[in-house]
Amino acid sequence: MSFSQQLPIVFEALNVGFLQTLKLFFVTLLGALPLGLLISFGSMSKFKPLSGLIKTVVWIVRGSPLMIQLLIIYYFPGLVFQNNIWGSGENGRFLAAAVSFIINYACYFSEIYRGGIQGVPKGQQEAGQVLGLKKNQIFFKITLLQMIKQIVPPMSNEIITLVKDTSLARIIALQEVIWAGEAFMKGSNGISGQIWPLFFTAVYYLAFNGILTLLFGKLEKKLSYFK
Amino acid sequence: MDNILEVKNIKKSFGKTQVLKDISFSLKKGKALAIIGSSGSGKTTLLRCLNFLEKANEGTISVNGEVIFSGSENQKLSDSEIRKNRLHFGLVFQSFNLFPQYTAKENVMLAEQILAKEQIKKNGEYNGYKTIKEAYEFIDNKAEDLLESVGMKHKKDFVPCELSGGQQQRVAIARALALNPDILCFDEPTSALDPEITGEVLNVIKKLAEKNTTMIIVTHEMGFAKEVADEVMFMDNGKVEEMGTPEEIFSNPKSERLREFLKTVLRI
Amino acid sequence: MKKIIALILTTLAIATLFTGCGKKNQTDLEYVKEKGTLIVGITDFEPMDYKKGSEWIGFDADLAKKFGKSLGVKVEFTEINWDNKVMELDGKQIDCVWNGMTLTDEVKNAMSTSEAYCNNSQVIVIKKGAKISDTAKEGDDFKGYKFAVEKGSAGKDMAEKYGYEYTEVDSQAKALMEVNAGTANCAIIDSLMAAAMVGEGTSYSNLKYTVSLNEELYGVGFRKNSDLTAKLNEFFKTAKEDGTMQAIAEQYKVQAALIK
Repeated sequence: MSFSQQLPIVFEALNVGFLQTLKLFFVTLLGALPLGLLISFGSMSKFKPLSGLIKTVVWIVRGSPLMIQLLIIYYFPGLVFQNNIWGSGENGRFLAAAVSFIINYACYFSEIYRGGIQGVPKGQQEAGQVLGLKKNQIFFKITLLQMIKQIVPPMSNEIITLVKDTSLARIIALQEVIWAGEAFMKGSNGISGQIWPLFFTAVYYLAFNGILTLLFGKLEKKLSYFK
Repeated sequence: MDNILEVKNIKKSFGKTQVLKDISFSLKKGKALAIIGSSGSGKTTLLRCLNFLEKANEGTISVNGEVIFSGSENQKLSDSEIRKNRLHFGLVFQSFNLFPQYTAKENVMLAEQILAKEQIKKNGEYNGYKTIKEAYEFIDNKAEDLLESVGMKHKKDFVPCELSGGQQQRVAIARALALNPDILCFDEPTSALDPEITGEVLNVIKKLAEKNTTMIIVTHEMGFAKEVADEVMFMDNGKVEEMGTPEEIFSNPKSERLREFLKTVLRI
Repeated sequence: MKKIIALILTTLAIATLFTGCGKKNQTDLEYVKEKGTLIVGITDFEPMDYKKGSEWIGFDADLAKKFGKSLGVKVEFTEINWDNKVMELDGKQIDCVWNGMTLTDEVKNAMSTSEAYCNNSQVIVIKKGAKISDTAKEGDDFKGYKFAVEKGSAGKDMAEKYGYEYTEVDSQAKALMEVNAGTANCAIIDSLMAAAMVGEGTSYSNLKYTVSLNEELYGVGFRKNSDLTAKLNEFFKTAKEDGTMQAIAEQYKVQAALIK
């Protein structure tokens, strides 16, 4: 098969794979951004058993490889409890991958949030209190934006890492873009022994991360009006 | 004239350290009280207890004859009660604590806008205004007047980082006045400022005193306390060591501790 | 205190979520029949399992569908990470591995495996009419003959083992071209490839394949102690007898590797 005949087949397969990559990315963000905030509140809780428990969980999740977490979350229920809770097929794999990524990234995000919240001077909260604002009003009207400004740089770092980390999900056979690229090495759709599709997947990551970098740059600039 | 504020037997400990040992005093409406004393004497803690930023262990605080805090009854106040009680007081911080993301005017308006919105939702009106739009217009005008009164109207659309320390503190005073507190408290309002710009802030406070605003001012500026205050309280080691008119305190100190304190401060 | 109790309760709830519905004392056959699907773990591997449009076809895939029919269950194919095939089985993500799987000791230890149904051996390809016996495989028989083998392949290992004079080429297809062009006398390729590309009705009708040099047996893997293995062996037996297996094999040109 000539190169020009391979091109459309390879691109179609890579596009399908990258759609999975994007799906995992956005679902992870959607879950991990709010969950991370809850975890950060929990880790700052004055109720010691709760904050202790959460700190231990965060330590375990941040201290062990995401690849192992994927294997454990996907295979453990079936292996140990004889009950595969994920069902069969692609959807189960996606769900398990999404849960692993959300938990993992929520823990990373929680630490960034904690830094952000604690980075807002206590006086801000007190100023809100003496003006008679309630706790949630203080958080949303005063603390939140200051926190966001502080966490944008570390967050953008972490989110760009997330884009690339999605490729780890192929350990549980989630067919993301690198899986799709690798398939042409072993042979798929009549094309075999081709290495270039695998390398070409990097272009997808670069393009998408380029867009993200631009967006984060814009956000940072937008928040630069105050200190 | 009745006392607007009555503080009785306030005690406060942090762990084993007793910071306030039985504080009692009262303040008449329209009068300015200056609290002086060395650092660690409990002045700031007392102010924070009045503003509910700290919870006193014992004692009572009454405003206009109504008990708004009682430590001995071990009463559990709801959040909304604490809020209502809180609004009897306004507080100007040593380090301004303006909200950095908002302009000067927004800083002044924020709390009242939130309050108005809540009350219109709940009671259908705020200060006689039935719609949020009308209320906001009123708040907007009021904020401009307040900024005018502290000489900051020309900077109303500037964010705090574009203002000097003195300008920020003047905006902070306007913000503290926005909810019409019965008693305005200052926690060392000029300590974080360069000496050459303390004057602009002190002048604003002086003007407030001339308009008979009830104020409690924790300060290190003895000259200013002498000039502005109707009464001066000297705190030492968690107690009210001496209280009286500026003349009594500065010209005729009775206690040994006060004499020592004045000697040290005036030498500097 | 209340919070601690809540914490313990939540932990228990999560634990029961995992253990709740695992049924004991159910055989694999009963399990598969109860859920009504046989989930077959595969990789993209022509001609055994590969995609035509959205459907999986191939010698293995078609046979698996027939096996499912005999059990009265639907067959679902799911692509797996080949390295994790044992975990996929034991974790019940899949019910069998049916993907041209070589029955190595490792595989036989970790799974319950069916009888071999294919022998994808390395075979010798030679021009029709060559003066070499169809059963010859010793090095002496091939004195003066040049072999073409794929670089680093099992075919190359065989050439070394039997002491043939060989040259390495890029691919098995290239090795066939060498024989066809006369630049080599023989080639060693695997029998699946040979069946698909050599002999009557193929692009190399002037070539033939002869003797098997080794054994590379393909089987199907189930969970350890599964009663599905016996079921499949039965199915294989009837499929061989009634010619189903041969017909499918011919359709995908793997008949050369079929174990009769």
